[in-house]
Amino acid sequence: MSLRRRLLLTLGASLCVLWLAAAGWLLIDLQRSVRDTLDQRLVSSARMVAGLLGNVPRSAWRQAIGPALASPPTPNVACQIRSMRGKVLLRTRGDLGTQLGQAPPGFSEIERNGQRWRLYTDVAHGLMITVADRLDERRRLQLGIVLAAALPFVLALIGSLVVVWWSIRRGLAPLERLRAELASRDPATLTPIVVADAPAELRPAIATLNRLLARTDDALAREQRFTSNAAHELRTPLTAIKTHVQLASRLEGRRAKAALADAEAGIARLHHTLEQLLLLTRIEETGAAGGESARVRDTAAAALADLANLANLAEAGRVCTPLTMPDTWIAAPLALAAGAIRNLLENAIRHSPPGASIELAIERERRGVVFIVRDRGDWPADADPETLIPRFSRRSAEHDGSGLGLAIVAAVAERFGGRLVLAAREGGGLFARLYLPAADNDERVAASREM
Amino acid sequence: MHVLLVEDDALVGSGIQSALEVEAFAVDRVATVAEAEAAMAALTTDLVVLDIGLPDGDGLALLRDWRAAGRRVPVLLLTARDAVVDRVTGLSAGGDDYLLKPFDLDELLARVKALLRRAAGFAAPVLTHGTIAFDPAGREVWRDGVAIDLTRRETALLERLLYAGASVVTNDQLKDSLYGFDAEIEGNALSVHIHNLRRKLGRDVVETVRGVGYRLGPERTDTPR
Repeated sequence: MSLRRRLLLTLGASLCVLWLAAAGWLLIDLQRSVRDTLDQRLVSSARMVAGLLGNVPRSAWRQAIGPALASPPTPNVACQIRSMRGKVLLRTRGDLGTQLGQAPPGFSEIERNGQRWRLYTDVAHGLMITVADRLDERRRLQLGIVLAAALPFVLALIGSLVVVWWSIRRGLAPLERLRAELASRDPATLTPIVVADAPAELRPAIATLNRLLARTDDALAREQRFTSNAAHELRTPLTAIKTHVQLASRLEGRRAKAALADAEAGIARLHHTLEQLLLLTRIEETGAAGGESARVRDTAAAALADLANLANLAEAGRVCTPLTMPDTWIAAPLALAAGAIRNLLENAIRHSPPGASIELAIERERRGVVFIVRDRGDWPADADPETLIPRFSRRSAEHDGSGLGLAIVAAVAERFGGRLVLAAREGGGLFARLYLPAADNDERVAASREM
Repeated sequence: MHVLLVEDDALVGSGIQSALEVEAFAVDRVATVAEAEAAMAALTTDLVVLDIGLPDGDGLALLRDWRAAGRRVPVLLLTARDAVVDRVTGLSAGGDDYLLKPFDLDELLARVKALLRRAAGFAAPVLTHGTIAFDPAGREVWRDGVAIDLTRRETALLERLLYAGASVVTNDQLKDSLYGFDAEIEGNALSVHIHNLRRKLGRDVVETVRGVGYRLGPERTDTPR
């Protein structure tokens, strides 16, 4: 049920119940008051007649032979005066016959000729004075009063309902506009929602929604960029392979062999890019600090072995490995940490002049371990090396990397609470510092040793 | 015919270049927008194979510049991105055809030839001029239905003149089409090839436009004596 309908029903129903209850109560009260007032008048009339008759000498009544009509008949009221013995001395309406004569003292009701009468009989000065009025006349009076009192109620009730309906409609208009805006949107649209004159209550919700939309838009764009870049990185070596293989089939001898060798170089590159992409996926899948830890010594060894395995990087021997390593554990899975360090070394080798040595150092820091790679490569001294980090960013077209190496290192650092810092070295080259936090158990061991 | 290949990836570039050269195209390969601009200014190319993603800029922006400058050379776009939007923007930027990586070498060559043919206004795959017919795919030449044996350069020369139709082709344009930008050519190499062509196909197959270059001779329907 819509909010508007619910509000309308709740407010409308409560208004109706309250107004009708008040009206009912008023009606009952009015009826009682009218009856009491009219009864009071009957009593007053009887007493007034009794007062008048009190001045008439008793002997006068004895001379009265029969009922004498004292006045012309009145349509709605009647009066009768009897002696205590029951003899009717005076009466106004003969058509009521002896009916009034049998009335006991006090209030009573009779029916005569299809009409109901209300009687009051007073006893005074040895006489019984009975006055009567017609009940249907009373009812007509009551009805008139009730109608006069009820009409404003009904009008006010209708007016209130209209006001409630209008206010709810107006009050909920921004919500309705928001609904219409949302309903008319293409699900793929991620532009901000605009609602004119949004009330203060709705503004935070719309702002949150818009922030969410912006974030989604951003993430989607990043995803699309990544997919597009990944497609490019995979298709380019694939194109090289396909072209050279098809070329080899058109050539003969030495040139065919050269084409096949080029195809193989393409395969090596495709393999490398695939591995890097898989590594990136694995980093994203691994839960943050999932409790896995790796020994520093094993990590460095795995990274160097990995480096030596790469066909196009037979120069792994150029890396100067540290003589001493801290005997500690880092809070990251071995494969990912080793992959990150291998990428740093690979980058250094790729950008260094042939034969130049690469330096790997590992140092213990207060809460973790720092892996340092120094090279004398052709990194641009004036450019900010941090711009090399984002995915698919490359120094130049001549370097056949996947453009993912440093992005992977940064992703590993971020995932496991570490940090990657790149800086240009004086005299050329790059200085890369990968900090990874130490594993918790290692902290405890270290602490116990220090004591 | 001369092809300017703009491809940043060395491995892909060398593959395409070799394939085109096997098909007797003269190919110059450049890897960046700057190099492509320089090459375009320095030589007359018959067709451009343009990779959209270049390291120092956008290949499409380069293409738009060329079109804005009035260059009408046919352009075959290459890309590794397959979004439909990319394809549409590529073609609306002035590209004549679009090939998605990885492609078949056969398809690339067929499209290159089709683009050249279309640019010259030939509808049929075999180019004819009077009694002379040339099949760019098989690189065969006939006169009166008899196959004529031409060398690679002579065929390329005839091809270039056929594509030009009635217009004059300058010496420089012919050299670019035959040898590309970097090749060192001996001074009279071109006239030697022209001489041989006339000897094999008839004297007036090629007309000399003095001080400018050459063009095809008048269309003949009978065999020259």
